[in-house]
Order: sequence, then structure tokens, then C-alpha cells
Amino acid sequence: MDRLVRLAPLFLLALAASAIGAAQATRPQNPAPGGWRTPDWNKPPITNANRKPAPRRSLTGMWAPADGAGAGTQAQGVPSKPNNGKPENALPYTPYGLALYRSHHALEGFDAVLPTEDNDPRNRCEPLGIPRSNHYNIRLTQIFQDDDKVAMLYQYDNRWRVIWTDGRQLPKVVDGGVDVGGELREPRFFGYSVGRWLDDYTFEAQTVGTMPDDRVWLDSTGRPISEKAHVTETFRRVDADTLIWSETIDDPKLYTRPWETMRLPMRLHDPRTDIQEYYCSPSEQDNYNKLFGSGASSKGAP
Amino acid sequence: MSARHVVAFVVVAFSSSIPVAAHHGAAAFDVGKQVVLKGTVAGWIYSNPHCLLSLDVTGEDGNVVRWIAEGQAPNVVYPVGYRKDSFNFGDQVTVTVEPVKNGRPMGRILAAVLVDGTKLGVANSSGTPPVPPGQPHTTP
Repeated sequence: MDRLVRLAPLFLLALAASAIGAAQATRPQNPAPGGWRTPDWNKPPITNANRKPAPRRSLTGMWAPADGAGAGTQAQGVPSKPNNGKPENALPYTPYGLALYRSHHALEGFDAVLPTEDNDPRNRCEPLGIPRSNHYNIRLTQIFQDDDKVAMLYQYDNRWRVIWTDGRQLPKVVDGGVDVGGELREPRFFGYSVGRWLDDYTFEAQTVGTMPDDRVWLDSTGRPISEKAHVTETFRRVDADTLIWSETIDDPKLYTRPWETMRLPMRLHDPRTDIQEYYCSPSEQDNYNKLFGSGASSKGAP
Repeated sequence: MSARHVVAFVVVAFSSSIPVAAHHGAAAFDVGKQVVLKGTVAGWIYSNPHCLLSLDVTGEDGNVVRWIAEGQAPNVVYPVGYRKDSFNFGDQVTVTVEPVKNGRPMGRILAAVLVDGTKLGVANSSGTPPVPPGQPHTTP
């Protein structure tokens, strides 16, 4: 018995060391050295056992796709209608909308072309704007709010936008831009956004006044979007850790009816998570094309 | 075969597809095909839109061919273990790539065994976390 008592601390030490070792093996990247926290993409699912109630009228937090790091990539186009050639995902194009789509040469989707054959404005480092920022590599997305606004910070290209909640009216779309109090205002990549709480857990944002269809795309497969678009987003706080981000576009210039583009579950992350830069740099893009893209696009071996 | 004698060979054509890249599509790649490269690192650029590995591979005929293998952007490959110093000039490493269709020595990284034996998975957001030396590796 004495021997058992003497060995007990050693046994407990070995057990603890084993547990630490196992934890390090399964989560080697977090916490990062020096306290610079990296995203935790292996969170346990939300169940009845760990579900916490949603706070009232709050979107604040560090959010990322609930289904993992790649779930917000949307390489195959908007998630509600992936561009895979299947009839159920055909879009209700107007004749002009279809012609515009066909003039786009995308690197992704059913009609993808080779690198360097594309005409995606992204590859010239043009701002993606709204709604495409919602459909391009959504990863860590920060949301802040105060009494007058909700601000969203996108990881890609360190872009941000403001959704006003102070009661101002959504501008009217007119030729050349929007009408704000009788004044013609210019179109913007991120448009003009206002928002309101539909109930204590559902926030609605509306955006108009975005850039013309020769400046921006809807998604990475070349689907078009125009300056006549009216984008409606809803953010539904299901519980403390889950936000459902949905979007519908109404763009009568390009589509014959409104349609839903996404319903993306987002998961709350540690607010101290460090966000790596993810950007479009013309010089790095050129270097990539020189070393890889151009060679990979050529029709034959050298 | 000496330690510096390196070789490239086609492994197998899989029917399974590799997860779609974030920056560009699969149009340039021979999807499902894999080539294992054993070679000497000539460069590793940790950049956007893609990380790029230059690898000098000596064929059975003695000729050295420089392969270029891409991974996704740093923020995508960091969580799956690819770091700025994962590859250093002169390292002897083994890298599995999905080659491009046109026959050029280019591809995208499916797996890598670093100079210290650490094993890494696909260099995109679907990749598996790093496996320390001496432990089994799940190939993509």
C-alpha cells in the first residue's frame, strides 16, 4: 500500500503528461506561440448540452463559417446556387444578364477557363464590393455595433463596410447612382446600407447603389451583378455561438426575379484570434503568373 | 540510390477529386493524378494569391528538372501546418503534387514530408494538420 501511495504522484504526472501530449497532437496550431491565437477550426458542435442563449440585438463578435475553414470559400459560386451546370441551379437570367455572364471568363465554376485567360476583376485587385465580398473566401469576419451602426470587417483585403441603424432611409436607385435627399450620389463598391432589427435576434440589412456591372461580379464563377441590385441580408442569431447569414438579391437588369444566394451558418470564435492578412497585391499576382499561372495556362509542354 | 539522388514518378490516377482551390479552378490541373517528387528545395515563397515551392528534381536520366508547386495563400495553409520556414533552400523533401494538364513540371501540393520528417497534407483549407515525424500519415 505504501508503495502505491509513493507511486501515485508519478502515475498522475504521467497521466497529465499523456493528456497534454494528446491535446498537442490534436490541436498543434493553437494556442500559437507567444499568445497569438490562431483560428480554432475544430470546435465541438453546438448541442443542447452546450448551447447558450443568444444575446438580444447583438451581432458583435469574431465569426467564421460554422462548417469549417473551407465552407466560406464559395469557389463554385454562391452556395445556394453553385455553378455546376445542374438544371436546379440555373439562374433566372434576363437576356442581357445571360449575355453578360457569357462575356465573363472565370477561373471557377462550370465554364472555368485557364489561369491568365480570365477577365475576373479580382485578378486586377479591383475591390470586390457588395455582394461579392459575401461570396469570396469568407473566413474570420468581425462584426462591431453601436447605437448608430453595424460595422463588418472582412478578412480578404482588409475590407470593411458600415450598415447604418440610425433610422436613415435607404437611398433610391437612379440612373448613375442613388438619390440622397434630392442629390445624385455616386455608386460605391460597398453601396449604401441601412439595417434594422426585425426582432430581438434577427437583423436585416439592405444595400443599394453598388458599382456598375462592368466593374464587379457576383461570385467567382462569373455570375454578374449590376448597379440596379437591391441586396437584402439577414443575420439571425440562433444562439450565443451561431449566426445564420442569408442573402437575397433583386436585380431586375440581370435577373427576372429575386433569388436567394446564400444561407451561411457562422460560428463565434475567440475575440482574441489573430487574423492573418489575405490580400490582392499586383506585384505578388504578377510574380505568381510569371512563375506558375502563365505556364500552367499554356496549351502544351515547352 | 544516394541521398541526393532524387526521382519523380507518377503514382496513380485517383477517381476522387481534390477540393477546389480558392484562387483558381481546376481547369489547369489533371484532377485525380498524383506525382511524387523527391528533390531539393530551390525556393519557397510564402505569398498571395498562392505560396510557391521550387523543387529541383533529378530524373533517372540524370537531368535536373525544376518543378513549381503551389499551395493556397498563407492564411489558408497556416492552419494545416505550412509555415514561412517549412521549406528552406537545400532541404531534401518529398512533395506529392497534382500536376497540370499540359505536361509542364507544375502542380499543386497534395502532401509534403519536410526535412525533419514532419508530414503535411493538402496545402489548402481541407488539409490535415501536421503529423510529427515517426507517426503515420493519411494521404489525401
